[in-house]
Amino acid sequence: MENFDLGNLERKNIYKVPENLFESIQENVLGGVKDFDLEKLERKNIYKVPENMFETIQDRVLSGVQSFDLDKLERKNIYKIPEGVFETVQENVLNEIKAEKKAPIFKLNWGYAIAASVALIFGVTFVYNSNSPVNGDSVNRYANNREVPKKESQIAYETLASDLTSVENANQTVESQMNIKPVVSQVVNNNSENQNKKSVKAANDVHMNEYLETLTNSEIAELANNSSQDVYLDLYN
Amino acid sequence: MKIKDAEIIALMQDPRTLEKGIRVLMDAYQSRLYWHIRRIIVDADLAQDTLQETFIKAYQNFHQFKNDSQLYTWLYRIATNEALQQINKLKKMQKTDEDPEYYMQNLVADNTEGDAEEIQIFLQKAIQSLPEKQKLVFMMRYYDDLPYEEISQIVDMSVGTLKTNYHYAKQKIEEYIKENYER
Repeated sequence: MENFDLGNLERKNIYKVPENLFESIQENVLGGVKDFDLEKLERKNIYKVPENMFETIQDRVLSGVQSFDLDKLERKNIYKIPEGVFETVQENVLNEIKAEKKAPIFKLNWGYAIAASVALIFGVTFVYNSNSPVNGDSVNRYANNREVPKKESQIAYETLASDLTSVENANQTVESQMNIKPVVSQVVNNNSENQNKKSVKAANDVHMNEYLETLTNSEIAELANNSSQDVYLDLYN
Repeated sequence: MKIKDAEIIALMQDPRTLEKGIRVLMDAYQSRLYWHIRRIIVDADLAQDTLQETFIKAYQNFHQFKNDSQLYTWLYRIATNEALQQINKLKKMQKTDEDPEYYMQNLVADNTEGDAEEIQIFLQKAIQSLPEKQKLVFMMRYYDDLPYEEISQIVDMSVGTLKTNYHYAKQKIEEYIKENYER
């Protein structure tokens, strides 16, 4: 190699060159853009597909909605039910029924209702009068009315009147008895010349007391029960 | 049930045992009638009031009950009429507001138990989307297993009409569920 002369060395490329390199470069540069042919493009899907997608779809279709059978569905009540609903309903129904049972007492015709209203006014007047000095007489008159025979219509009217005002009267008689006695005894003591007249009053008073004593407990209870009538009559007035 | 019915009827026909009769009647029928009413009305408070009214009407009108029909048929008839009256009142009240069917379907959603299955909720919504007659027939047949002959006495429709209505109701419900229910 002493005689090596670079000048004499053959100038050559020793690297491998891909076949048709220049053709393909030229083609790429010139034809790639110009001659793009959609028809020659490979048809391919480039989107990702979830795994087992088709199996899932098939499962859904077959086992799901398509096989829904109303007859196979369990028949159940799905609504929330309030606590104690049946107890409340039963209680309300029974209360309503009991109220209705009492109702016929109040199903008076209007004639009776009007008569009862009048009687009630009498009753109220009676209460006011009971505070006046003649109150003893009122009680006596009441007691007398019960004893003296009357026409049937009068008795009917007065019975109704007395029934409807019985509670006021009952309360009142207790009260008035307490009041009357001193009044009467006072009168007896102070007005000796009128003693006869007053003693008649006292006698009437005794009648009243006797009358009240003749009432049994059950009769008094009945009178007390009738007191509820006044409430309803007030409503209709 | 028939022995019980005979007992109830005997008690209720005698004024002295009428109150006991209505107690036995309520014990025997409250649950069935409540659910029948509730499925029509959906709202809990209104259903309770309607059940109460049904029993009061039964008590007041027992003299009109004829022994040739079943006691429960007669009671279902009262309950159905009472429930429909309530629904109609409700619809009138809703008139200016939203669509009554939409309102009922919302009511279904509001009234269901927390653990209710979705398919069951859809079924109730589907029932509420039905016309009145179809709804009644479907409910009495599907839930209460009432024979068509009995339903016929309750809603005053012929057995043939009832069968057709049930068929359509079932078809519509299945379609509704297929459309709306996704697993």
